[in-house]
Amino acid sequence: MTMLPIFEDFVRACNENPRLRQMNRDWNRTIVIRTSDNGRCYWLQSENGLIQHGEGDRDNADMRIEGSDKVIREVFSGAISPTEPYNAGDLLVKGSQDDLVRLDIITLLIWGE
Amino acid sequence: MTQRQALPLRTAVSTSAGLASAAINFLACVEIAEYAGGPSAWIALLVAGCLIVFSASNFAELSGLYPSAAAIRVWTRRGLNDSLSLRISLVYALTVTFAIAADAFVVAQAFHQAVPWCPGWIWIIVLLFVISWANLRGIRIAGRVQDVNALMLLVTLGIVGIVILWKGPLPPIYHFFHVGPGIFQSIALGIFIYVGFEWVTPLAEEFSDVRAIPRGMYIALGLIAIAFGLFTVALTTIFPTVGQLRSTLIPQLLAGQKALGPLGFWWMLFVTATTAMTTFNGGLFTASRFIYALAREKALPKTFAHLNDRWVPSYAIIGLACVSLVLALVIFQIGQYTVLINASAGVEGIIYALSALLIVRLRKKEPHRARPFRALGVPWITLIVGLLFLVLGLGALMTSVSIIPWPLIFVGTLVMLVSVYVYLAVPKIKAKAHIKSVRVAPEETIE
Repeated sequence: MTMLPIFEDFVRACNENPRLRQMNRDWNRTIVIRTSDNGRCYWLQSENGLIQHGEGDRDNADMRIEGSDKVIREVFSGAISPTEPYNAGDLLVKGSQDDLVRLDIITLLIWGE
Repeated sequence: MTQRQALPLRTAVSTSAGLASAAINFLACVEIAEYAGGPSAWIALLVAGCLIVFSASNFAELSGLYPSAAAIRVWTRRGLNDSLSLRISLVYALTVTFAIAADAFVVAQAFHQAVPWCPGWIWIIVLLFVISWANLRGIRIAGRVQDVNALMLLVTLGIVGIVILWKGPLPPIYHFFHVGPGIFQSIALGIFIYVGFEWVTPLAEEFSDVRAIPRGMYIALGLIAIAFGLFTVALTTIFPTVGQLRSTLIPQLLAGQKALGPLGFWWMLFVTATTAMTTFNGGLFTASRFIYALAREKALPKTFAHLNDRWVPSYAIIGLACVSLVLALVIFQIGQYTVLINASAGVEGIIYALSALLIVRLRKKEPHRARPFRALGVPWITLIVGLLFLVLGLGALMTSVSIIPWPLIFVGTLVMLVSVYVYLAVPKIKAKAHIKSVRVAPEETIE
């Protein structure tokens, strides 16, 4: 089952949050999220404080995130913080640590602890 | 499927060598030479280096298996269990404060020698304050500066060592092969020279070529062995007797002076300062993000997940800086800097032993998971070297200038406190966070 509705909610929450738009105004990044169990890819693109999303792979991604369908779903719906599965090795990331912390802060600002 | 902003091999080498090359290594070289009994200190460094190569291959496999900034937290959690993993990770993270405190001590001694009217403890406070302030403002020493600094230190040590040995006079040749009764302690402390080489593994996610980490570590280990080996042997020619060696707290400045005159003295002072600053900066940055991550997974109080207006985990940085400052001032006051060297060498020896255990356990638990790099000699050689590291680690903890093994008491107390914390406090924090998660306003933890 596609996860697009989850990303849609996530992106809306980001774009409707003025503090996040302010924080991300100079954070222009492309993030590709891949589910390890069914190989589906989704992308998020942050540009000038606004985030867009879509399905499929993207070239030149700044960050690649991989985890099971369940973990990705939980992280991007706010059920768990990304740090929890990340520290357990259930969420693998390819990219810079600064971007990883930024993503964690985004979820913190949207959903709190 | 390309990835932008990937780090090059050069950065893997300089990060591995740079994090291993703390200013306290200068004093560790003195201690190694002292226990080895003179110019044969190179044997201790070589043996320690050969053992470390096995450990490096363990870290390379673990890093390829789970490339993560949370490194040891992930590996121990997968290979052991959550509770043990948390204890190990916390103790490991706190050893960063040992390194910062020890380096602050070295810099204070060096600066006091250069500017005698200013007491050393003022330098400690000023330097830690400056670096903490820079970290709180989100200012980082750029990767390229760290590359240059690591290279500068190793080249400087190599040149100074060669010039001193060239100038002579050299001791009789058999002194280079005659090991003293303290060779075991010398090898155990020799590990300290390489300590930190594996701290490049948390950057694994930032390299597009998975081979960069193992290659970087191996090249760095070779460079460290050559540079510090030359420096240590050169020291034994400047101070032919053990008593003379023990009495100096500024061996690097004296070596610089001996090799290149006043220029060498001031150059070594500059190198000491930049090396310590890099250790402070790198240590505070890495450890504070680790503390932040632990607070986010509710293993530490949420205070440590607090971010300032520059999105920096400010309380984690302030907490680490305060612990480092107190440790540094206590060590400065009592002068027992060897406690920190021996404690760090002990903790790292045990961590290296643990890496061997993790390799074997994860090969059994997750045999089909992709391993871009495979450790050397699994399982028997890995386990034997791991056991050797355990013995050397315990040996380092037992090494003390007095009959009381202060490093063992220091680390033992730390482990006990961390265990009590994990056993009693963590479940309460997790339970509290769970109840609060439905009520807390999203922006409460942010300034």
